[in-house]
Amino acid sequence: MRPAIVSLRALALAATGAALLAALPFLLTQGLLNAAIQMLIAALFASAYNLLCGQAGMLSFGHAAYFGVGAFGTVHAMNAVGGAGLLPTPLLPLAGAACGLVFGAIAGWFATQRSGTYFAMITLAIAELVHSLAPHLKGLFGGEAGVSTMRMPAWGLDFGSTLQVYYLTLAWVLVSVGLLYLYTRTPLGRLTFGLRENSHRLRFLGYNVHGLGMLVFALSAMFAGIAGSLQVVSNESANYVVFDPALSAAVVLNTYIGGVKVFLGPALGAALMTFFGYAVSDLTQSWLLYQGILFVLVMMFMPSGLAGLGGTTARLRQRFDLARIVPLVALSVGAALLLSLGGTFAIEMLQRVFSQDYRAMARLQPAGAWPPLQFLGRAWLPAAFATWAVPAALLASGAWLAHLARQRLRALADAESASAAGANAHPSTRLAAHPGGTA
Amino acid sequence: MNDAILSIRGLRKSFGPTEIMRGVDLELRGAERHALIGPNGAGKSTLFHLISGHLAPSAGEIRFEGQQIAGRTPQAINRLGLARSFQITNIFPKLTVFENIRLAVMRLHGLQYNFWTFIDRDRGIREQTERLLELVRLQARAATVAGEMAYSEQRSLEIAMTLASDPKVILLDEPMAGMSTEETHYTAQLIREVTQGRALMIVEHDMDVVFSLSDRISVLVYGQVIATGTPEEIRGNAAVKEAYLGEEVAP
Repeated sequence: MRPAIVSLRALALAATGAALLAALPFLLTQGLLNAAIQMLIAALFASAYNLLCGQAGMLSFGHAAYFGVGAFGTVHAMNAVGGAGLLPTPLLPLAGAACGLVFGAIAGWFATQRSGTYFAMITLAIAELVHSLAPHLKGLFGGEAGVSTMRMPAWGLDFGSTLQVYYLTLAWVLVSVGLLYLYTRTPLGRLTFGLRENSHRLRFLGYNVHGLGMLVFALSAMFAGIAGSLQVVSNESANYVVFDPALSAAVVLNTYIGGVKVFLGPALGAALMTFFGYAVSDLTQSWLLYQGILFVLVMMFMPSGLAGLGGTTARLRQRFDLARIVPLVALSVGAALLLSLGGTFAIEMLQRVFSQDYRAMARLQPAGAWPPLQFLGRAWLPAAFATWAVPAALLASGAWLAHLARQRLRALADAESASAAGANAHPSTRLAAHPGGTA
Repeated sequence: MNDAILSIRGLRKSFGPTEIMRGVDLELRGAERHALIGPNGAGKSTLFHLISGHLAPSAGEIRFEGQQIAGRTPQAINRLGLARSFQITNIFPKLTVFENIRLAVMRLHGLQYNFWTFIDRDRGIREQTERLLELVRLQARAATVAGEMAYSEQRSLEIAMTLASDPKVILLDEPMAGMSTEETHYTAQLIREVTQGRALMIVEHDMDVVFSLSDRISVLVYGQVIATGTPEEIRGNAAVKEAYLGEEVAP
């Protein structure tokens, strides 16, 4: 019997996920469907990035370059042949893939000459090179106005509606992420983990480490190019702002927030962060600050990312019965909720106090007076004690709950090691044991 | 007269003004077990690094089956049929033991840039990996994360990885370091078996192992080979006694 490449359970989960995504347009408004397209593209971009970063252990700080090259390759493919397009619309991402692959192979040849910090610096330099060159090459990148295009009807579909664009994007993202998963089961996919773990040893096993690194880099750039391509197909335009370092940074943050050790972690992180960006950017002007804070907190308290939470919970359940975990989880969730409410309240108030509008308003007041602020449908006096007591109380009670949760966890661990001491078990090593590299 | 598979002539290596290898001449015959002994800092590991391509020599030649290999890349030298282990355990610590050996086995099957077949479906590779696991007595540990094993088990894994490419020449750098007497005994027997018909060069501090395992022994002192010979010849060599073994070691 041929061994199964994907377990039945994983296959069932993947099929359920795909079916849910396919049903999404019937549940969402037009605006949310547009956001869903952006989430899918970000998820693919993060998965492509994670092939290089999480699986091969090569931290690139310039992946926007390959996303952007895929985007511009596609926009020119769409405008070729007098606007008829080089490829039928559903196949356009192939143009992005080709451009990403070729440019990725060239850039990868240079970048993978070195590893670690030097590798990161080379990727940064290459991205910066493209970023500063793009505004000058008006013919290729269209200058400030960018290059616009039109989706052409193909295969009996007109691609005029968001719905059709959504399904086109979904199909490409599912196929690409599926291929990226299957890749991990191939010889090159296994060697990719070897590159991350110990490229020095690979060399003495007879492998050409530079060749391997370059190929992984090119493949990662190829999938990033597909993501860029899908964005152009969706937006019907491309602008050199895609080369902005902010996009390179976003994919790093999304990938780590999602969790690099789990295959779908980065996709999850990118989809969530894109959704928050969409939902929150209307409500606050400090979205980038929240994004940064979230990243720092995830790195400090759960370095394995959001996807790592699943693993942690599973390990806890293995060690303790459910009845003892539930209060622990409830306490932790409560603490997180109170802390984020308090934090958000404080940030939003501060942001309003320091905003230009408010400063201008305050200057009109008689000396020393602080006019009230509108927030959450209420007027708050910035100089009043009561105003700041609200976030302080929220933060303090959140910290108290976090403290309780910690104590409870320690008590559980102590109780277990006391009872297991006779059995010669090592709970501490079991907790520390984090099987990586198998995702 | 030249049946040497590996022959080293006038090999020199300097790090800045410090000369570590000061003209080494050494021959490894086609199917002999050759031990390299010498005091700490004599340059044994450096010699291994030079032969395996980790370092490039400053002068001199290293010939593998008559071919000059000095200064070539490690992967090129490995593909000619020379595999080595490391003094400091050099494995893939976060991958499973099975995966560690499989990565080593794949190369022999020419799998490197392959991303269109599934590795789990390759029966030949699976069987060879399992054979190697059995050989070094790690079958029960196949699914263990390599870095979590005991040190001596990691040493065994290192030997399995070195054997995976079916090399003509094997360099083992202190393979028994950190092993118990029983493990040392088993590993010495294992090395004897698996090096049947191959050339072995081994650096080892356990003199019982060195004298019982080797066909010939070379003594390296301050970057020069001061003597090469059978265990009996080395035992009787006055210069060796003075420089290294000391009267009390040689029976």
